[in-house]
Amino acid sequence: MEEWVGERWHRFIWRAADASYREAAVELEEVTRAVQMLFRAGGGDPLVRVVPATEQKIGGPRGWLQKVAGQGERAALSTLDEETLALPPVIAVFPDKELNRDLYLWLAAQGACLDVTRDGWLEQNMAATRHALERFPGLKGRYARLVRAHLAQRPPPGRLRGGAREMEQAIQDTLRASLADLAGATEQMAEVHASSPLLNTSPHSTPLPTTQPATVAPVWLWLQASETLQTAESTAQEPDPEAEKNKKQQEEDQKPIKQDTKRRRAQRTEDSTSKDGLMMFFRLESFLSWSEFVRVNRTGDDEDNQDYSKVADDMEELHLAHRQPGETLAARIKFDLDLPSASADDLPAGEGDPLPEWDYKQAALLPDRCRVQRFRARAPEEFATESEQVDDPAQAALAAQLASSDSRLRRTSRQVRRRFEALRAAPRWQHGLTQGDELNLDDWVRFQVDRRSGGTLHGESPAIFSRRVKSGRSLSTVMLADLSLSTDAYATQQARVIDLVRDTLFVFGDALEGVGDPFEMLGFSSVRRSIRIHEIKRFSESWDEGARQRVAAIRPGFYTRMGAAIRHATRRLAERPERQRLLLLLSDGKPNDLDHYEGRHGLEDTRHAVHEARQAGLTPFCVTIDQTANAYLPRLFGTNGYALVHRPEQLARALTQVYVRLTAAAR
Amino acid sequence: MPSAYEFLAARAVNSAIMNAGYRTEPSSAVASAIPFYAEQAGECRLFEHAYQQKLPVLLKGPTGCGKTRFVEHMAARLGRPLITVSCHDDLTAADLVGRYLIGDGNTVWNDGPLARAVRTGAICYLDEVVEARKDTTVVLHPLADDRRVLPIERTGEELQASPEFMLVVSYNPGYQNLLKNLKPSTRQRFVALVFDYPEPEIERRIVEAESGADAVLSARLVKLAAALRRLTDQDLEETVSTRLLVVAARLIVAGLPEPEACRAAIVDALTDDGETAAALNEVVQAVISQ
Repeated sequence: MEEWVGERWHRFIWRAADASYREAAVELEEVTRAVQMLFRAGGGDPLVRVVPATEQKIGGPRGWLQKVAGQGERAALSTLDEETLALPPVIAVFPDKELNRDLYLWLAAQGACLDVTRDGWLEQNMAATRHALERFPGLKGRYARLVRAHLAQRPPPGRLRGGAREMEQAIQDTLRASLADLAGATEQMAEVHASSPLLNTSPHSTPLPTTQPATVAPVWLWLQASETLQTAESTAQEPDPEAEKNKKQQEEDQKPIKQDTKRRRAQRTEDSTSKDGLMMFFRLESFLSWSEFVRVNRTGDDEDNQDYSKVADDMEELHLAHRQPGETLAARIKFDLDLPSASADDLPAGEGDPLPEWDYKQAALLPDRCRVQRFRARAPEEFATESEQVDDPAQAALAAQLASSDSRLRRTSRQVRRRFEALRAAPRWQHGLTQGDELNLDDWVRFQVDRRSGGTLHGESPAIFSRRVKSGRSLSTVMLADLSLSTDAYATQQARVIDLVRDTLFVFGDALEGVGDPFEMLGFSSVRRSIRIHEIKRFSESWDEGARQRVAAIRPGFYTRMGAAIRHATRRLAERPERQRLLLLLSDGKPNDLDHYEGRHGLEDTRHAVHEARQAGLTPFCVTIDQTANAYLPRLFGTNGYALVHRPEQLARALTQVYVRLTAAAR
Repeated sequence: MPSAYEFLAARAVNSAIMNAGYRTEPSSAVASAIPFYAEQAGECRLFEHAYQQKLPVLLKGPTGCGKTRFVEHMAARLGRPLITVSCHDDLTAADLVGRYLIGDGNTVWNDGPLARAVRTGAICYLDEVVEARKDTTVVLHPLADDRRVLPIERTGEELQASPEFMLVVSYNPGYQNLLKNLKPSTRQRFVALVFDYPEPEIERRIVEAESGADAVLSARLVKLAAALRRLTDQDLEETVSTRLLVVAARLIVAGLPEPEACRAAIVDALTDDGETAAALNEVVQAVISQ
């Protein structure tokens, strides 16, 4: 009963105090596309994603009702950092739906013009507004309406005290000045800048914060630039390997449970609290503590089962600690098992090759950053001799795998192959054309007979010509398949991604063999800077039982260092004599690896690798089943450089279609 | 026959051949009829030098940036007739050189546009040359180097080009066709001229001159183009060209409201995807005030 009353009360008071206009709410999802485009069109970095922002503490006076309801303490503020433009997931600030929608668009324009290198939140936003209005004069009318509506909501500065009052005054002056600015008086802005006491107090002695000050109510029209990112990066230079691995592992574990794309404020902090025991506290006992002292950090074990993602939402900042020792043992062992021992691993083929990597921050290609090692799956006979077991389970599984794929894929394979054989162009003559290179005597005689017999009228251009149909395809292909651990996930109800990739390779290999174009088939994965390239079929080999067995033996593992794999394939293709060379990449997600090869660095490196491939005269093309690929692949491969397969079970068919389409031009 | 290739002669070259079914458009050779062209970076001078040195020219640049207009302009300036051939993937060497046609009971040789240009000393412009079939390179190669001859296999003739003849080809490097590209051996025979969309100020002048729009309107359209061009690669395959801007400006000058004209001439011309079009419209609205 008490609980029921409490709930009712909460609902009632929450509604009564709620100052937002729910019926006019606009969700970010409805406008994401427009926001993204407007942001880029305004000059924003094309790699910045638009994401929902998390709530954080806000300031400003609250009404008594809000205080009673515990409302108005937190809100999602718009934030811009290196990789994301975080906007409130829902905007219900104004009673007019149109106005709320315009606010989103305005934030995109403002965000595109925000110069993060400037000092101070107020200054940044002031300059950004001016720029945005210059760039998008069409927004002027809407901006004026937004400012007027927002000014009406802001608390009068007279009711505030101290620093808040000054700040509020400065904000309102700036907003009003920008309104006047619209009317044409450009000097006003400068005047405010000079007269505002807040702005004049030692502007450059200390760097002004770029975040929204906690003393005033949020300015919905403005953004804050995230400054925590820089500090995070400085400490993250040499990341602790174990911690990183561990973190990764946890991420992998949590991934299927909840796809959470919210941008959280994160800050890397040194874990300086030493809870590891007191040593020199009591002289007599110090001997004992020396022997007893074991460096155990139990923080990881003592946590109860709560909803961590909820906790993460509630926290103001996530503190990512650098912890050297005391990682939970279980995680470490789990990871070590993942690395195959040398005897169980595939056979390395040749020495590894060093490869460069692109660093977008330095805008330079760093030589010898990675090492690529080619591997070759052991032939099944070797398995048998080594383990001296006739019914080796691994081999049996492999054989079963091969047999099942054979029977399952036979039909598709045959269809695709037939289709591909049409591509195998042989020189031939086409007759009965109204125009062509040569006169065809048969047609000519027939035409003359028709004409002399006088019965039929003939057109201006009788069909008496023949033409040689183009032949001589000169095309080689490298097929790169992503074999990272993420392919272990289920793509459909029945099949994992790796299974689909395996099927695709079977069908594709069969089909290409039918066309007669030379091709090489490689799988790739990576652990940090060492790239594992699994040889499935070399150019020099034929598509035989051995190659098919190697396809059956592919298994997921490790990460996706896409750039290095593309560079390796580029080198392989560059040696080929064919005039047209196609680099096909089969992928299931973004590039990523342990050491920073995530997010922007990975994308930029991959982009550069693709660019290098183009420079080398190759045609890179990516086929992916990642449904979010539209957000990043155009940047990497160009709008025409990739295909997104919406139904993963259709991967094999889709890939062959792509191949036909790409190479049909190569007559 | 005309359906196979469409070509245009800036001046009547040979009235006898006109009867064979080619569409030629005679135009007055008066200097005042020189088509408008705003020079971007000394390309006119370069073209003139190439003409005097009898060198073939390769124009590359995105669609609608003024390649064709440039050639028309230069041909008029140099006082030469222009023969334009828009290449397509079925265009063969015979289409360029010529072929036997059926006359009354016998065959008659008929020069193709290229052969005619070589004979009469015209400027021959092959638009989108990569689209043509690969065998066309066979006839282009001897013409494009210092031999300047056009071998006509069927008649056994070897045509020496007249001194005024000039070969101009164009292609669009960023074009969708992934596997079609100029062979290096072809490319290296030409003097290359790179085109891009003009600087804002020049582009504004072009829009103004082509559409009769006032300075304010054309400046606004150019600003819109700048915003939309930042979207290439990520959201759009091809970006807004100067040609599209001119089209939009002409619609507006003709009396259509600005947002409507921009939607019809620019947004819907750039994309077929409804969602993208809606988002693009937001960008247009943000730049063009209602």
